[in-house]
Amino acid sequence: MWRYLAEAGAVFAKDMRTELRTRVAFNALGLFAITTLAAVSYTIGPYRIAEADRPYLLSALLWIVIFFAAMAGLDRSFVKEEDSHTAALLRLSARPLVVWGGKLLFNVVVLDLLMVILVPLYVVLMGFEVRSITGLVWILLAGGYTLAVTTTIVAAIIARASSRGALFSVLSLPLLLPLLIFVIQGTRAVAEGSAGGVISALRAVISLGGVMTLVSIVLFPAVWNE
Amino acid sequence: MSSRRPFAEILKWILFVWIGVIIWAAFFYAPAAAGFKGQSSRIVFFHVPVAWVATLAFLVSCVASIRYLKTRSVADDIRAEVASSLGLLFAVLATVTGSIFARIMWGSYWNWDPRETSITFLLLIYAAYFALRAAVADPERRASLAAVYSILAFVTVPFLVFVVPRIYWSLHPDTIINAQAKIKMGSHMFEVLMGSLVGFSGLFVWLYTVACRIETIRRRRQQEVL
Repeated sequence: MWRYLAEAGAVFAKDMRTELRTRVAFNALGLFAITTLAAVSYTIGPYRIAEADRPYLLSALLWIVIFFAAMAGLDRSFVKEEDSHTAALLRLSARPLVVWGGKLLFNVVVLDLLMVILVPLYVVLMGFEVRSITGLVWILLAGGYTLAVTTTIVAAIIARASSRGALFSVLSLPLLLPLLIFVIQGTRAVAEGSAGGVISALRAVISLGGVMTLVSIVLFPAVWNE
Repeated sequence: MSSRRPFAEILKWILFVWIGVIIWAAFFYAPAAAGFKGQSSRIVFFHVPVAWVATLAFLVSCVASIRYLKTRSVADDIRAEVASSLGLLFAVLATVTGSIFARIMWGSYWNWDPRETSITFLLLIYAAYFALRAAVADPERRASLAAVYSILAFVTVPFLVFVVPRIYWSLHPDTIINAQAKIKMGSHMFEVLMGSLVGFSGLFVWLYTVACRIETIRRRRQQEVL
């Protein structure tokens, strides 16, 4: 187990080093999120939504910004291996599950970094009232993980496809729609201060994340060795 | 062809008569349910079976995909593709029949009810499956990547069919398997519904076997041309 974690950590560290060299994923996710936030904040702002609609609409907008930003860069982890012809070498030097673990860790860290910057900005610019910060943190962590685990396996699939184009968004978004419903429901419950709503949404998100993790562990070798 | 498969021919005629009897029974044997506008409740005898067949088809696609990843047999890839296309067709039929019912009962073809939302997501997921198939040129790689995506897609089905409609308040009438595990349906209606489920499942089996044979011939021809 420790050996597996150390090897996955090495893949993660390699990805982080190459990412810091080029900053393609960081720039894509960060700029997309900030630009979308600026557009949403400018066109809607904190006062154009009726008080009763605020928890639901602001929760939905927050997750739409996060989801579309994720679509802009989370496929990089696998696509860059194919583009730079390093995938074959990685296949020789690491077991499939080690690669999957390292790439998943990379996507989770990138997404969490994005949320650390984006969410406070969103709260300030949109006047989003959060009644339970702990609840919001749990929803963001669980939602972020499930988003990362789903996009990691889809990124592995599209990296092996001949024409990638918009395929990452086309394949990821439908699979992520149930998650989008659960996290919006959970964030709305956070804004309304409903602990029951947060727990119910967290259960659904964690279940989906757990199932996606197990299925990815079983299926990833078939995609990676193809 | 018919002389070589007499048993299949007999089954086909039994199915034809069975479906005919079900159509007659849906209009003349089962009474219209109380609490619904006019004769609108009779659509249940067609809407529920097509929704059931769509789910069954997606299950068959998932099972065939798992088998493909184990055996790498082209026949399993054909089974998965055909089952997904039939699932998509029956999901469209479920959406259309549901929309007709929604127009009569609630005055609008589309209300973004949780069940309408779930079926839309399912349509998008399986449309993405075909987008993936179209994006991969190599037949073997196409088959294995599509198999992985089909399994991932089926993982979301329980969340869309069972979890999402129970998280949101729904206009949709109680399902046959409801939260109280009680059948709220008259005996004549229940008999016709069960008969219809059997009939539509038989129709799916017939369409599935015919479509698998056609697809096998099409691929063989394609190989001969190449």
